[in-house]
Parts: sequence; structure tokens; C-alpha cells
Amino acid sequence: MKKNKYYVAILMIAILLAGSSFTQETKITVKGSDTMVILAQKWAELYMKTNKSTVIQVTGGGSGVGITALINGTTDICDASRPMKPSEIEKLKARYNTLGVEIPCAKDGVTIFLNEANKVNELTLKQLSDIYTGKIRNWKEVGGDDADIRLYGRENSSGTYAYLRDEVVKADYAASVQSLPGTAAVVNAVKKDVNGIGYGGAAYAVGVKHALVKKDAGSKAYAPTPETIAKNEYPITRYLYMYLRTRPSGETKKYVDWILGPEGQNIVTQVGYFPVR
Amino acid sequence: MKKIFAILLLSILVLNGYSQAAVNDTVKEVLEAHEGKLNALDERVLVNEADLAKLNKIKISGYVQTQWEYYQADLVKKNEPTNTFYIRRARVKFTYEPADGVKFVLQPDFSTGNLSLKDAYAVVNLPRLSGWALWAGQFNRPDYEVEFSSGQREVLERSRVIRAIYPGEREIGAKIEYSGTSTPVLFQLMAMNGNFTGSQAKDADSRKDIMARFVYMAKIPSAGIGLDLGVNGYFGGTRAKSNKYVSDSEGVLDSITVGDYLNKRWFGAEARLFADVLGGMAIKTEYISGINSSTSATALKSDPNKTRNFRGYYIYLVKNIGNRNQFVARYDYYDPNTKLSGDAAKSDVSYATWTLAWQYYLNDYIRISLNYEMPRNEKNSTITDVAGTPGVQLKDNTVGVRIQAKF
Repeated sequence: MKKNKYYVAILMIAILLAGSSFTQETKITVKGSDTMVILAQKWAELYMKTNKSTVIQVTGGGSGVGITALINGTTDICDASRPMKPSEIEKLKARYNTLGVEIPCAKDGVTIFLNEANKVNELTLKQLSDIYTGKIRNWKEVGGDDADIRLYGRENSSGTYAYLRDEVVKADYAASVQSLPGTAAVVNAVKKDVNGIGYGGAAYAVGVKHALVKKDAGSKAYAPTPETIAKNEYPITRYLYMYLRTRPSGETKKYVDWILGPEGQNIVTQVGYFPVR
Repeated sequence: MKKIFAILLLSILVLNGYSQAAVNDTVKEVLEAHEGKLNALDERVLVNEADLAKLNKIKISGYVQTQWEYYQADLVKKNEPTNTFYIRRARVKFTYEPADGVKFVLQPDFSTGNLSLKDAYAVVNLPRLSGWALWAGQFNRPDYEVEFSSGQREVLERSRVIRAIYPGEREIGAKIEYSGTSTPVLFQLMAMNGNFTGSQAKDADSRKDIMARFVYMAKIPSAGIGLDLGVNGYFGGTRAKSNKYVSDSEGVLDSITVGDYLNKRWFGAEARLFADVLGGMAIKTEYISGINSSTSATALKSDPNKTRNFRGYYIYLVKNIGNRNQFVARYDYYDPNTKLSGDAAKSDVSYATWTLAWQYYLNDYIRISLNYEMPRNEKNSTITDVAGTPGVQLKDNTVGVRIQAKF
């Protein structure tokens, strides 16, 4: 009888251990770019459908927020719509003694949003820079009506904010730019404001006009379409990135490989961005 | 009967029409009232957002380092304690960014009995010069180990050579810095008073000292390897105000003209290798050699009375173990007078120090450090142990445990 009790106890422990091994979940946290948040959520949703033991938690907040979380160790993957700054890489080096791992996972065209009633249809990179630094303040200076330009943009934690500043504006933004939390808010503001101009990821551009952009006055103007972005013809084409502290392993590696594979890249297209592979 | 039915139907329709109109009016009124409330809320939210935006421009961060140290015999004088708790640093950093590319920083240190101003500076991005910034105020001298925050550093204290030539780490002056985004280089050029030790508000002489540093950061992303290579230099001098004789490195007294500037000039080379090998790993080193002029004390406000050829270096091996643990070994060497050794060097004793440390990151805010420092002094008769025996290898190792809380 006593022996039987031992057998029962051993059996129960075995069942518990087996059960716990079956229910063991791997959690991957993803934090960062608001531009990429819809894409990241879709990736997570579909991946979890076929990988039941993996839980992927996705939050936005902006590329800057994601990079800070990566440095602080509070996220496994950081989504960023701009490359990491040297100062951020230095922080990773200081804390983890690595340079971080940069994985381009999609392509995007930074879209310039104009109100549909705005007469202006195209802008050069120089004009965009002058508009966002406050040198050009009236729409008539770029072929529009005699009206003050109202500038909308993202908060400084946004990767799109930093990307446009570094690659197009190439100077600090004018103090008159109204910072809004998220591309959707920028689109909404421009939709309501005839004299407004804003910027953001292509996937958000609904209900506003996309300005055609050209490198300089003599160049051809391009709209941000899949073709122009794929061929790098649209002048404000950028990569969207995933960053990790160290080279991925285990379930994180599996997830990253899946994102870069046909299924993950197919979702990139569905969401409105452009695949890298 | 049909007539009655028709009248009744008509009455119902009319009444229904009236009541429908009345309902519509009421709904309209309610909607208008709600619209008014929403507009009022909208305005309040806008005001609050504007206030919040102002507050967002101010960032407050900081850290407290509480430390326990145990000293080996020769560090303990008669009736002195062998161990102690103390607050090594208690800093609060206020950063205000009123606009893009403009930053003001103020950082006092509140450690017990040592209230001092550590940083007070402004940084402005140079317009139309992407990557260039101008710094002005009191801030760290441009050197790797100096600029590497003590809140992040893997061992409790900086290397002996760095502590000797950059006392207090900070200086008052102006710096131009280029941090490349497309080209991976860092360039720093600083003009400073050159004699700051933590308490001198103004320069002791008219000439400004210059520091320059250039670092190239190469990387092989596919291999997870980064290599920083850099050079730095210090070009300055200290004015002899009344001393007519200065002792050189060999101990010979040279006569000088009062008002002469004594050399303070050195060059450094630095290298850092970062590798993603089962987690992060780094080897970091710097070598500095040159001539320093000073008084016997570290403060330079008084007349310099000696010049010394010196050299020193450090080398770190840092290995991250998972996200929370880190092992560190450092070897550093400092010879304050390369021309003389042994008894002839008198108080210019060279030191070679091994430091072993372990860091444990409990979470984002708490770090626990265990540190063992083993200095090995050059033997000469000016060195005496606790019993008064000269020319010995001192038993002066230190064990340190630090808990750092940051916010």
C-alpha cells in the first residue's frame, strides 16, 4: 500500500512536469516605432497562430522609446523607422559591449501629406527643407495660395521625425511645428487644415493628398508607390528596422527568420509597406 | 366608420409628426449642449497638452551609489576603522531641452559632506552643420574613461593615470564636437582653463589649454564586431607665478623666469574591441604619455614647482553573461616620473593595479557591484607600511560592494 502511494506521487510529479513542459511559453517583447506598430502587430498575430507556445507582446511609443527600452533591457526587439544614432550605439556598447544587431525588415516611403484642397501637388527636397525649417512660410512661395503654411509633425521620440530631419530637412525643425502623437494624428490634422502639411509612413495616408516629391527643380517628381519605392526613385525612401542587443537565438531567431521569410514579407505588402526580400 | 378611421389615422400621423419634431428638437438641443461641452473639453485638453509639452522638455535623472569598503592592513591607520559605509555619489541631473538641438544640463552631487556642482553646461547643435555641436560650461574633459559615466563604469573607480592627469574629470571651457552619422567618427576639440579641480571658478593663468580627440569607429556587422581606434592630445601649460626654480623629472632644479609657462602636454592612443560572442565582450585600452607640470599637491592654483615625464595605461576585459551579469578584469599602470625609479623617484611612486569586478543588474534601476582592487607599488624608501617599515610592498588591497540605484 505504502509502495503504491509512492508510485502515485511519482506519477503525479511526472504529470505535473510533463504538463508544465507542454504549457511552457516563450515570451518575446517588441517595442518601438509607431509607424511599424500595425505591421508588428500583424506579424505577431499571424506568427502566434502557428506557434502556439510563443507569446509576442507588441507596443509602440516611437523609435526612440523602443531604442531606450532595448538599451535598458526591457524589450527583446526594438522596431525603428530610422537607423540607430551613434550616441545610442555607444549606450549599447557601454551596457552590453555589443553594437546591436540591425535587421532591415521592410521599406517605406515617407509620405508628405497635403490637404486635398491644397493647389500644391509637388515639392522638391529643398522646398521641404525650407518649409520645415521655417524659411518658406507661405504656400504662394511654392506655387499655392497666398496663405500661411501650418506645419504638423511627430514628437521627437519618433523615428520618422528623426529620419526626415536628418535626411531631408538637414537642420533643426522650426519651432512652429505642431508635434502630434502618431502618424494618424498628423493625417487627421492635415485632413482638417487646408493650409496644413504633415509627414508619416505611407501605410497611414488615408483622406489626404500625397505630395509628389522630386530631388531638385530639374528632376522628375514621384509619388510614393510600390514601384517608385522598390526602385528607390521616390526620394524619401527608407528602411524600417528591427534591432536586437545581441545576435538572435532560440525562438527570437525563429521569429526574425519568419519575418524575413515569404510569410512575413507578404504581410509587409498587405499592410502597405514594401518587402526587402 | 371609414371617416372616423381616416380622422383617427390623420390625428395619429399629425400628433406623431409633432412629437417627432419635438423629439428632434430635444435631440438637437442635447447634441448642441454636448457639442459645447466637448468644445470646452477640447480647449482644456489643448491647454493641458501645452503645459505637458513644456514639462516634457525637462528631464530629471540621477543615481545614488551606496558603498561598503573593506581595507587591508596598510590602509588602516592606528585606531582607524577597517571598513566603512559611505555615499560615493548622489547625483541628480536636470536636463532642459527648450528646442531641437538646444540642451541645458545641471548636475549637482549631494554625497555626504561633499555638496558640489558637477556639470553645468549648454549644448547647441550648429545650424546647417549636421553632426556638429558646441558645448560651453563645466563638463567632462574629452577622454574615453573620463566621459564614461560612473553610473555605467564596470569598476568602482577610474584608472590611476586618468585620476592623476584629469582630477575631478571636469573642466570649465568650450568644446566643439562632431559626431558623424554617415561617417563613423568622433572629433572633439576643447579649450579650457586647464586647472580645474572642483573648486576653482576662474583660471589661474591667461593661456587656455587645448584638448583634441579623434576616434574612428569601424564595424563588421555580420561578425558582430566593432573596433574603435583613436588618438588624443593635451596641449597646455601652467604659469610660474613666483617660483624661480623648478624640479625636472630627474630631480634637477632648473632656474626659470617668473611668468614662464611650464609644459603640460601629452598624447594618448586608445582602442576598443567589441564582440558579440555568446553575449557582449569588450577589450578596452588607452595609453597616455607626456609631461605634466604641477605643485606637489593636485591643485594647480598655486605655483608649479616641478615638471614630470609620465606615462600610464589601462586595459579592461569585460564579458557580459546574459543580460544581468558582467565580469570585469582591469590592469592599469601609472608611473608619475618615467626618468627615475626606486629610491631616486622619491614620492613619484609607480603603481600597477589589478581590479576584478562582478556586476549584477537586478533590474533597470538597481545594480550591485563587487569590486576587488589590488595595487602593487614600486618599492622605495618613501613607502612605509603601517608598522613604519620602508621600501615594502604595501598590503593595500580594497574590497568594495556598491549598490547603485538610478532613476
